[in-house]
This record gives sequence, structure tokens and C-alpha cells, in this order.
Amino acid sequence: MALKENIFWVKCPKCAGKFYADKELRHDKEHKLRCPFCQNRFLDSESPEIFE
Amino acid sequence: MAKDLQNYLDAFEKAYPQHLLRIRKELDPLNHEVAAIMKHLVNEGRYPIVLFEKVRDVNRNSSRFPYVDNLFSTRELCALALGLAPEKSGMEMSLEFSRREAAAIEPVVIDRKAAPVKEVVRSGNDVDVGELPAARYHEMDVGPYLTMMDVMKGEGGFYEVSFVKHLILDARTMTVSLHHSLRKHLLNIVQENEAKGIKTPMALVLGHHPAFSLGAGALTPYGNNDYGTIGSIMEEPVRLVASETWGESFLVPADSEIVVEGEVIPGRREVQNPFGEYSGYYQPQCLMPVMTVTAMTHRKNAIMQGVFPGHSSHFNMGSIPKEGSLYKEIKKIAPEVTAVFMPHSGVGRASCYVSIKKKREGDAKHAGLMPFLQAGQIQYVVVVDDDVNVFDEQEVLWAIITRLNITKGVDLIKNMPRYDRVLIDATRPLDRPFPEKNRIPEEVMKRIKLSDYTG
Repeated sequence: MALKENIFWVKCPKCAGKFYADKELRHDKEHKLRCPFCQNRFLDSESPEIFE
Repeated sequence: MAKDLQNYLDAFEKAYPQHLLRIRKELDPLNHEVAAIMKHLVNEGRYPIVLFEKVRDVNRNSSRFPYVDNLFSTRELCALALGLAPEKSGMEMSLEFSRREAAAIEPVVIDRKAAPVKEVVRSGNDVDVGELPAARYHEMDVGPYLTMMDVMKGEGGFYEVSFVKHLILDARTMTVSLHHSLRKHLLNIVQENEAKGIKTPMALVLGHHPAFSLGAGALTPYGNNDYGTIGSIMEEPVRLVASETWGESFLVPADSEIVVEGEVIPGRREVQNPFGEYSGYYQPQCLMPVMTVTAMTHRKNAIMQGVFPGHSSHFNMGSIPKEGSLYKEIKKIAPEVTAVFMPHSGVGRASCYVSIKKKREGDAKHAGLMPFLQAGQIQYVVVVDDDVNVFDEQEVLWAIITRLNITKGVDLIKNMPRYDRVLIDATRPLDRPFPEKNRIPEEVMKRIKLSDYTG
């Protein structure tokens, strides 16, 4: 089945856990991402590693 | 007595005690522990209804609410939920669902004093949804989710009921997972209200008779009063009662276990996900509408119901309400159709097997195109002959391996909404000689009984 492919992987700056988000959140300055592993909130610009 | 979850479970346990598993030791759903039990059962090929008697809530206290799951984990359980014998869980159940879906039994409104869901009422700042045993199922799930039925009221007064998940953000706030799928009835209602700048009232139904949940999956058009359809699926009127927040102007199911009332705030979005979804993959983090909880009512001894995502209950909730409708729609243009099945390998949504009594070349494509038009999530259709049991995936794959003409039998259908579709014709050709399927003479099979020659 067709999976959503317009995503980017991001690394949490606090715990280094990696997860992915919809491209609509890339460069979003209003909505902080939420790390599923440590609940840290951060903008994608704060991430040490982004794969897109 | 009105149908509800608890009288269903009581009757079920009396009739099938070996198929209701009670877990008495405390588990922490937020720490994936409920999901671990569910997955162990899957790994062992066991699919009982599971009643977790002691679970922790989101606040990490012992919850007042037990948690029940797996109510739809087999087709036989779904048949029982619909009041049918387990042996009727094949095409017969799908057609019966479709027959009921086409009718309606109007709901009745009862006094709040008679409504079980009003036994405990809390509103405003007294509400804390952290008291619910919401779960993180899969490792990357971002937080505690509720996975049950939502009710909204559309313009003109119809009630829409659908299966939706919610991420709990705090004591009175949660997301509402409304995606831009092809059937986005709830999202339509929210967007219509947002365009006017007004809040959208809504209610979560966290537990009801299992036929209520199956009925919410019916293929009804936008604007249908789903309480009427669900009544028909349940074969009795859904009893409704005035909500705490909006009174008579928004009615909620009186026989629910737990109802959470709230309002979707226009224009507000918050991140939710990752969440391990029915596809078997995590849905990416994304923005979703947000609701503010206004009230929570429940029975004194309420049980919270949920669905283990990406597993058999989730698949059956997607497929069974659709198969009968698909069969009937195919039958209108292709009377040679004999059965329709949406298998678990296609997560109960993405693929559809159709069998036909083929009379001429082209019949398979004729019949096989209809599912794409009727259910927008179907991406793959396989058409087989009626000597192939569509409910047996091994037989369907055998038909593909032995009967498909790869050059002529695979059609890629482009430029449809969201994604391309694939139609596979795995029927025997009629326009040229073709080998015959192995068969032991029927008379011998009947005459020679295994029991006469063993033990």
C-alpha cells in the first residue's frame, strides 16, 4: 500500500533518538517537534541531524 | 435490557469462557505492557478477548477502569458481536452487515436518570483524562493514545460516528486525529465549523457493545445519521441521552462505558505521532486539530475499550463493514460475482479478493474495477474463479501463481485519487485450452471417511 513518503527523519538534540515527521513540519517555526523517546520539544533547526 | 459492552462480555464469557482471557496482574499501558501481552498472544496464534482487570492510568496510578481489547480479533468474534453464529463469519456475515447497513433504526432519547453513562459525572476543571488507562502500544508511539469512537454533529443535524485516535496532551487537552483520507466526514464537519470560526462539539465513546463499533465503520454517505445505521447494525435503537456540555442539542450514547465530551478549537493545531498504525508502520509526526475536554461521564464500574493498532481487530473493523457493500455494488454490474474478501495481509483496507463464476473474457476486469470506486483505500484487487476460496489467502496466491497471464492479466490504473491501483486477473482463460485442477472424485471423498480408518 502507499505509505506517506514526504517525510524527514530527525534526531532529538537531547536524547539522540531518531524519529520522523511529515514534511509540513520541516522549517516550521511555530510548532515544536515532540521526541517520542524523551518528550523533548524542539524545532527541526535545533536537530543535529536531519535526513530528507 | 439494552445492548451494551458489559452484558455482551458477561454473556460471551458464559458461552465461551476459553475465549475470554482475564489478566489479573497489574500492567502499565503507557509503558507498552498491555501491547506486549497482546503481541505475545498474536505470536502464539491466540485471539481471545482480553480483559485487563488492573491497569495503570496515564497519571501512573492504578486506574479505576479495567481495559478490554481484541473484541474484533477474529471473524467469528465479529459474527458473535452481530448476533450471528460463528460459522456464518464468511460471506454470509458480510452480506448480513450490508443488509442491515442499508436500513436504519432511529435512536431513542432517554432521561439522564436512566442512562448508565451518567452514573458518574464530572465537568470543567474536575475532569482529568489522565485517569484513563490510555496506552502507548508501539515503541515509537509519541504518547498515550485513546483508540475508539468519536461522535460529531454535522450541519443539518446528522450525527457522524467514526473510529478515531487521540493523543492525550494534558488533563483536559488531546489531539483529534483527522486525516485527509477519502472518507473524511469528521474532518469535513470540523472544517465547516472552522470556516465560521466556531468550535466543534464532539464526544468520545470509550466502550459500547461491539456491534456499535462495527456499525460505525459502515460505508455511509456524508450526511447520514450514523446513530440510525448503528441501530440497524445492533438490531435495536441506540439509546441516547443529553450531553453535559450542550444538553439536548448534542446527544451521546446512553449505554456507553465512558463518554468524554469536548470542543475542537478552530484553527489550533498540535503535533501528534509517531504512532504505529494499521499499515504496520509508524504514521509520521504531523499537525492535528486539538480538543479541549469539557466533561467526562461514565458508569461506576466502567470498562475502557480499545483496539490494538495494526493487528487483527483493527483489520476486521476496516474490512467487515465494507465487504458486503462491495459485493452488492459489484453484483449490480457483474452478476457473476460469488464472494468478496479484504484480507489481513492488506490490513483489511488496501486489498480486495473477488471471486466470480466467469462466463467470458473480460468478466474479471469488469468485476474487479468496482472496488476501486467504492472504497477509496483499496489499492489492489485480485479476481479469481469461484473454485478458489477468497477467504483462504493461500488459495488466492496459488491462483495468481498458476493462472495469471502476466502480460494480459495485470492492469495498472493510473490517475486515480491519491495513488495508482493494480487489478490482477487470476482467472482461468476461456479463449484457449487450459489444464484442469486436481481433484479427488467427490463420491470417493464422501464414501471414505478418515475416522473409519484411523484410531
